[in-house]
Amino acid sequence: MAADSVAAAVGATEMEEKESSIGAALAAATCSLLGVAAIAPAQAQEVPTWQVDTAALYYGESDGRVKDASVSVNARRDFQDERFLSLDLSVDTLTGASPNGALAQGGAQTFTSPSGKASYSTNRDKIPLDDTFKDTRVAGGINWTQPFARLYTFSAGLGASSEYDYQHAGVNLGLSRDFNQRNTTLSTGLSYSSDKIDPVGGAPMPLSQMLDVGNLANRAGSKSKDIVDALFGVTQVISRTTVLRLNYSYSDSSGYLNDPYKILSVVDPVSGDAIPRTPAAGTTGPSSVYLFESRPDTRRKQALYGELKKYLSGKVLSLSYRYMTDDWGIDSNTVEARFRWPFQTGMYLEPTLRFYTQTAADFYKLSLPLGQPLPRFASADYRLSDFNATTVGLKFGRELGNGQQWSARLEYYQQTGSAPSGLLIGNQATRDQTPGLKAIIAQFTYRFGL
Amino acid sequence: MRGALLALVCLVAISPNAQAVDAASLDIKAHAGKVVIVDFWASWCAPCRQSIPWLNDMQAKYAARGLVVIGVNVDTERPLAQKFLAQTPARFEIVYDAQGRLPQEYGVQGMPASFIFDRAGRLVGKHLGFKNAGRDEYEALLVKTLNGEKE
Amino acid sequence: MIRKALSLALVCAVLSGCKTLGVEPWQRDILAKPEMALDADPLESALDDHIYFSKEASSGGRGFGGGGCGCN
Repeated sequence: MAADSVAAAVGATEMEEKESSIGAALAAATCSLLGVAAIAPAQAQEVPTWQVDTAALYYGESDGRVKDASVSVNARRDFQDERFLSLDLSVDTLTGASPNGALAQGGAQTFTSPSGKASYSTNRDKIPLDDTFKDTRVAGGINWTQPFARLYTFSAGLGASSEYDYQHAGVNLGLSRDFNQRNTTLSTGLSYSSDKIDPVGGAPMPLSQMLDVGNLANRAGSKSKDIVDALFGVTQVISRTTVLRLNYSYSDSSGYLNDPYKILSVVDPVSGDAIPRTPAAGTTGPSSVYLFESRPDTRRKQALYGELKKYLSGKVLSLSYRYMTDDWGIDSNTVEARFRWPFQTGMYLEPTLRFYTQTAADFYKLSLPLGQPLPRFASADYRLSDFNATTVGLKFGRELGNGQQWSARLEYYQQTGSAPSGLLIGNQATRDQTPGLKAIIAQFTYRFGL
Repeated sequence: MRGALLALVCLVAISPNAQAVDAASLDIKAHAGKVVIVDFWASWCAPCRQSIPWLNDMQAKYAARGLVVIGVNVDTERPLAQKFLAQTPARFEIVYDAQGRLPQEYGVQGMPASFIFDRAGRLVGKHLGFKNAGRDEYEALLVKTLNGEKE
Repeated sequence: MIRKALSLALVCAVLSGCKTLGVEPWQRDILAKPEMALDADPLESALDDHIYFSKEASSGGRGFGGGGCGCN
């Protein structure tokens, strides 16, 4: 067995931050799609020329897994008569290890790293984690909002992000119109995203084998993906203290939707153990047969979101619910509750609670049994599996007067998955194949005026 | 009752910065012969940060020609209105109507809202919202009304 | 199911049946408070969306517009 373990290939990247850069892409798109709301609402205090919001965030999973640290800045300028310019910039660094999709086995396993230039190993009975990546991403956006005619608000924005092997560019437009003396607002938004994925070593052929170190025969070049999002929303003032929002959103992605670094273990159809293989002479490589995953090249999602905000003598309760369904067979439910509780002058505490459940994608598999025909699509990425997740958090905030405020929040996020018994084959049931995820989120924000 | 109200309003008219007591209704006829702007504002109304200073300018500029600006505050919490005035002082008469009777009576459609009455006490103009871009047009209407010209 | 719920919401909001919902323009003091804005902390929402999109298969949903002071 090759003694080589982890090689910190400089610049080698992993789908984790592909997903997070997709997240950034969508976050940038969503943030800009928010249009008016991407900018904190106009307040009737003395408004300085620029209002600047800064945030430092740390996200850290347990067991040596992913850690992300980011710094974000948003600057807003009020041009009078409800016209706003908003500028965003954020930088984040990702390190740590992420499950590569292979199953834990009774013996140690070796894998070729994403770049194809090195290899890494996993001990027996451990979920294989790929930690050969660290990357820095920069994202920016610009957004303009203005009214036209008395009851209409228009917004337009651009966003972009870049990292070693992923580039995103997007544009968004939004329009809203007030009715019933501004008690009702109808909004609509459209965004378009064009992303370029340049996996280290080249995008692997879907469902092809993970090859030995130095062998890039099954790798192609860079890939691309387009995403179109549409949103329709209604905001309704219910009473002096209550406001309700309902949104319908539709998202259409097409292009390269795979995670280029995620694999599946090919296993014996009876024992469920991985099929051993020997690397070619003179090199190291995978200790078993692993296939790169394959996802459809289109994905259509729909979501219905509802949010209620209620003022209760100085305290504010927010409740929201989102139902999402897509053509990959994933259904999810998200419930979120926040309670902002001010105490003393200018200080508040805000506990939050979030529950999330999702069903697995149709093509989610734990492993591929040898001898059966290869499915067209297959992925063992835990993010496409059945799981529940809970977040509990607490935020403390302080207003310092002259438009300055700061806040600190700490949250705990836990995912608990369960492998449906139908997917576990033979010895696989003796190991915990879905250990879930535990993470801490810590954030500090500071707002000031210039 | 009307006499008392009239007296009250006259008292207020003498001292432009005086804070009137809660008024059940405004008697425009008390200002007969003057052009009156009744402006509805609140501490939570962001555009009022602009409309109040502009009304200060108009009041100062045209007081001699017979302009009276009356600001009706609709805050339910008086301290918030006072805090707003401490930052953005109003150099015209303020009337407090926390109950919201006056905006109801005038049929206010949005905030801020202002109503212009000519020297005979007739309503000649309404303004909904306050845009910096619309100031000149607004002032032109004021001048027209002060001159007694018909629209 | 989504289409039905959406049509209902739209119809309810726009048609006169729901004109009884809402407040007078001068009664928006509480709604105008920053903490009552529907997306009171856009930077934090964006950071959360980023985290959850990276770790789960769903994203977005939040929109924009409405509520608040209703001025101008």
